[in-house]
Amino acid sequence: MTMRVMTLGVGDLGAAKDPGIVIRTHALGSCVAVLLLDPKTRSVGMVHIALPESKINNVKAREKPGYFADTGVPALIKEMSRIGCHGNGKGMIVKLVGGAKIMDPNNTFNIGKRNVLAIKKILWSLKMGVVAEDVGGSISRTVTLGADKGRVVISSSGRNDWSV
Amino acid sequence: MAIQEEIIAKVQEIPPLSTSALELVTIMGKADHDLQHTVHIVECDAGLTAKVLRAVNSAAFAIMEPTTSIAHAVSYLGEKMILGIALEACTGSILRRPLKGYAGKSNALWEHNLRTAMAAKEVAKLAEEDISLDIAFTGGILHDIGKAVLSEFLNGYAEDMISKIDAGEAADYIAAEHEMLGMDHSTVGYEVAHLWNLTFPLPEIIRFHHTPGKAKESVRALVYAVHLGDIMAMMGGSGTGSDDMQYRLDAGFSDYIQITQSDFEKIMLDVEVEFRKTKSSIFKRGESE
Repeated sequence: MTMRVMTLGVGDLGAAKDPGIVIRTHALGSCVAVLLLDPKTRSVGMVHIALPESKINNVKAREKPGYFADTGVPALIKEMSRIGCHGNGKGMIVKLVGGAKIMDPNNTFNIGKRNVLAIKKILWSLKMGVVAEDVGGSISRTVTLGADKGRVVISSSGRNDWSV
Repeated sequence: MAIQEEIIAKVQEIPPLSTSALELVTIMGKADHDLQHTVHIVECDAGLTAKVLRAVNSAAFAIMEPTTSIAHAVSYLGEKMILGIALEACTGSILRRPLKGYAGKSNALWEHNLRTAMAAKEVAKLAEEDISLDIAFTGGILHDIGKAVLSEFLNGYAEDMISKIDAGEAADYIAAEHEMLGMDHSTVGYEVAHLWNLTFPLPEIIRFHHTPGKAKESVRALVYAVHLGDIMAMMGGSGTGSDDMQYRLDAGFSDYIQITQSDFEKIMLDVEVEFRKTKSSIFKRGESE
């Protein structure tokens, strides 16, 4: 089967239940990709989140809710419900990828960690939790999520691929 | 020939900057330069004129009526955009090809440099002393030029470089480059800067953008602005390949740049918007893929 690729940029989100689709996002530096997998409907979704809180720019949050953790996670769940999943995320498997940091023992400007914490906070408020994650470190990641089997593949320049 | 001699010899093969680009770099470093001078430089370069008009009339800028006026285009786009277009025109062939030594894709180096320039300009506004936003931008556009040369000598070694860093044998990617070749992309970039007759402080910015604490005190704030801009570009997803995020933050920035966590995030957001707009106007459809 020829796979069709749904490519997401920064702040983009997407969902699919067609087994012929893979969702991919590139160059997760400090950004975090939230991956949702719904076993009941065999649907998957992803959002590429750049910053933790939308209050720094509410206009941008309205234009592109996926840009921020507090607006992006609910927006992704809404998109998943549009294709037939439970409206409040019930039963979904959640995985996180990304949230890297520059090399700094003081963790100054650790937006990656702030993103991960903000995402987990909003998930907690929605009674959802992360079951697997590949976050942190000082590497830039690309992640691919297949709608057929829900397989998550992570790649980074100069390294062999791995899964989570 | 020792490897360092080979690298220096390869630097000499770099195409020169166009007269227009060098003039623009020079005048933008002067606080009292006249916009009309910029207009004149563009008008005298047919190739640059065509690229500037294509950019201003592109969908990204959505002007009401197409324009053929360079004065209008320069005023609308801004001088930094004009400089970006001019540098892309004469260095595009080397900045846009894949960085095989860094396992980097086509256009990665150009996009990274452009994003760094935009971020450096914004960071420069937060400097304790009054520093040139134009020079911060120009320094950002040129800071990683050394990778265009060094990539060839690192070809096939990306995995080894990463392994060294992961094993703690090299502190970061600059150290790994130096250990492998006796030079790193900042020292090679310094050689390119001199080949291009770039005036101070641009060679200093290129040389010390990863170790700004070692730059001359008189321009250290500028170098820190580019250093932070470089980090923002990588964090935002515009790196150059296997070295993404594999550099250290120089904590000395706080003596020169007053930037909070909130400032940092706001700049990253603003630069993301500006970068996407500029990228779509400079690159033809499909060229950035």
